[in-house]
Amino acid sequence: MKPADEFDRPRLFLRGVRDALALPAWVVGFALVGVGSLAHDVGHPVGAAILSTLLIWAGPAQVIFYGGLASGTALPLIAVAVCLSSIRFLPMTMSMLPLLRRPGQGIGMQFLIAHYVAVTVWVEGLRRLPDLDPDQRLAYYFGFANACIITSAVMTALGYYLSTALALPFVAGLLFLTPVFFTLSLIAGARNRLDWSALALGAVLAPAFGFLVGKDFDLLLTGLVGGTIAYFIGRKRR
Amino acid sequence: MSVWEVAIEPLWPYLVLIMVGFLPSEIWRALAVVLSRGMRDDSEILVWVRAVATTLLAGVVVKLLAGPTGALALVPIWGRFGALALGLGTFYLARRSVMAGVIVGEISLIGFAYWAISQ
Repeated sequence: MKPADEFDRPRLFLRGVRDALALPAWVVGFALVGVGSLAHDVGHPVGAAILSTLLIWAGPAQVIFYGGLASGTALPLIAVAVCLSSIRFLPMTMSMLPLLRRPGQGIGMQFLIAHYVAVTVWVEGLRRLPDLDPDQRLAYYFGFANACIITSAVMTALGYYLSTALALPFVAGLLFLTPVFFTLSLIAGARNRLDWSALALGAVLAPAFGFLVGKDFDLLLTGLVGGTIAYFIGRKRR
Repeated sequence: MSVWEVAIEPLWPYLVLIMVGFLPSEIWRALAVVLSRGMRDDSEILVWVRAVATTLLAGVVVKLLAGPTGALALVPIWGRFGALALGLGTFYLARRSVMAGVIVGEISLIGFAYWAISQ
């Protein structure tokens, strides 16, 4: 007889798909509509626009990438800017992987798991995965993450063809989706003093470091300094 | 026709995408696979790593709102943070519904954008 979780896998996968389509997949999808229109404006084919969502899978990095091409910035400089903007994936992915790692899992599977990490998947994953049995998490994760990335790829293509049809206030609304959704999901997921301190310190330190060290290394310093202070505030009260 | 026009030019956007967009971003996810090997999900260092990630994300939000790109820059700064505050207020009033908060925040922002254009 197969273990129970073998039978559960398709059901868990679909539960992940359903939870994603309830809201998160649409938020990240609509946020990437703008990326499609940016890709159209620099003359990239629609396939490259879709691939940018499937491969880069990071809204801010995609905006920097296509914004850089549009303004004629040298390619190595765009690469550096993209790299600095995606630094958040290091701590996000590091805290996600131990929830999904199983004995005997190959390194290729771990790179695949890591590729899907983005804010939506991270926030929801940290909230939902610990409640599942470790053997059940991966199927749920792939269902949730694939629903998010595929919805977003379709929306990117939609934005590519709609690029000139959207009124400016709605384009502004699409760009506003990322910050408003990040904020509300982070607050909805905040459980203790450590989380609240981290949120407050990030909000205060990012502009401060932006002023002190410029826009390249401000996020790195914000994360390291603010995260460490938040960690000690959280530990003191545990 | 030259080799460039036939074989390379149609693929150029994909090549740029992979070299300049995908690899510089993906390197962090790949590095995380290597650095988190052998870590348990209840280890102390991961508590710190999570704190760093949460702080970074809050920083990203403020950066996106304080120094916006493209059409979002149409809306004055009080409109951007005001729309966020209205979304946040709705989130709490609507029994912590993220969807309600996002919708009200978006309507406010689009409204402020129309107001800004009409000025």
